[in-house]
Amino acid sequence: MELLCCEVDPVRRAVPDPNLLYDDRILQNLLTIEERYLPQCSYFKCVQKDIQPYMRRMVATWMLEVCEEQKCEEEVFPLAMNYLDRFLAGVPTPKSHLQLLGAVCMFLASKLKETIPLTAEKLCIYTDNSIKPQELLEWELVVLGKLKWNLAAVTPHDFIEHILRKLPQPGEKLPLIRKHAQTFIALCATDFKFAMYPPSMIATGSVGAAVCGLQQDEDVSSLTRDALTDLLAKITNTDVDCLKACQEQIEAVLLNSLQQFRQDQRDGAKSEDELDQASTPTDVRDIDL
Amino acid sequence: MSEQIRYNRQIPCSLKVCRRLFGVADQQQVRRDCDALMASYLQEARKRWNFDFATETPLEGNYVWERVPSLGLPKIYKSTACWATPINLGGGKPPSAGASSAVAIPGTSQGAQASGSGTGRSEPLEEPEVAPAVPLPRGRKRGQTSMTDFYYSKRRLVFSKKKP
Repeated sequence: MELLCCEVDPVRRAVPDPNLLYDDRILQNLLTIEERYLPQCSYFKCVQKDIQPYMRRMVATWMLEVCEEQKCEEEVFPLAMNYLDRFLAGVPTPKSHLQLLGAVCMFLASKLKETIPLTAEKLCIYTDNSIKPQELLEWELVVLGKLKWNLAAVTPHDFIEHILRKLPQPGEKLPLIRKHAQTFIALCATDFKFAMYPPSMIATGSVGAAVCGLQQDEDVSSLTRDALTDLLAKITNTDVDCLKACQEQIEAVLLNSLQQFRQDQRDGAKSEDELDQASTPTDVRDIDL
Repeated sequence: MSEQIRYNRQIPCSLKVCRRLFGVADQQQVRRDCDALMASYLQEARKRWNFDFATETPLEGNYVWERVPSLGLPKIYKSTACWATPINLGGGKPPSAGASSAVAIPGTSQGAQASGSGTGRSEPLEEPEVAPAVPLPRGRKRGQTSMTDFYYSKRRLVFSKKKP
């Protein structure tokens, strides 16, 4: 967190509150309530008829691109995906409504988390004006009703600081670990596999993947992979085997995404609009595996 | 992203990100689905609270609904002047102007009514089944929002009755 940047940054941001971040009771409470905000079922099997998993990935990728371009707070995207999944778990939706729904979810998440939220007009522009602001506002109420106005869902980001402070990592490495973990969380949110996982497990797996990924370049490896997993599992009371599996899935998705990105880059280079390729869906470019 | 400087949200939308993913939705269907879902929420709320939020009518059930005179309520619920413009929550029609000085709350017995009517300015109680229960205050957006607020604005009917 660059505290000095508030001189030029119009966004007012509270300083990190040690009472919230360094108290184990907060972590325990988060662990207790996180399950309440999970989608109720794996909806592709039991609810949706029109929507396929690849469509969720399409809308998620688009949402992530919008959030990145608009420099939304990190939590906005995973939170919006949480709303989307919870809505889809209860309401059979035609695919023609999916982008509208994605826009509504970003609208709500941004209002909840940001001092300068995204506007309805801007979101409609991002749909290439396929939806109207009025529709967005009406569907906002539809989504709110379905979510029973329970918007303050627990996200993996809520756990990051609690986990990081318990890691035996030198302080100067933390910003990079944090940044990578945040990227992995966003990556997980684009993939339906992770939609039913508790946020604490995604957070723990993401931090694990971040630490392991960064340790590969170094001679001094402070922790073996297994020791790290054991430690992480204890911090968030996660089952060790589940956590291992989760971390491996994250790494696989990351690898996949990197390959996809390189593929896109090659394709982009062929078709002359490579300039725009700078805005990748994820920040994974600068991660060395 | 959050660590970068944000320029007041004046970030233009790049053409690459502006795209329609699944064609244009049929606007009629969007509207129909919206209405159908809203109606289903109303129905749920109606069951849960045994109160018809569309017509403001108490129904048979666990809760006994009764009128509450405005005197005991905080100021914010009484005044209608400061919310001259109805707040359109996005539900098509703006809420109609049913200015009111009282609010209906669920109670468990009729006895609670006495405290209100004993203050000297008692509201004439109307037959709940016939008259709509007293509308919620129009300034609801300013106070604590509750789930049912929104049913109200969406499905509000025109009130023929004016409060004295």
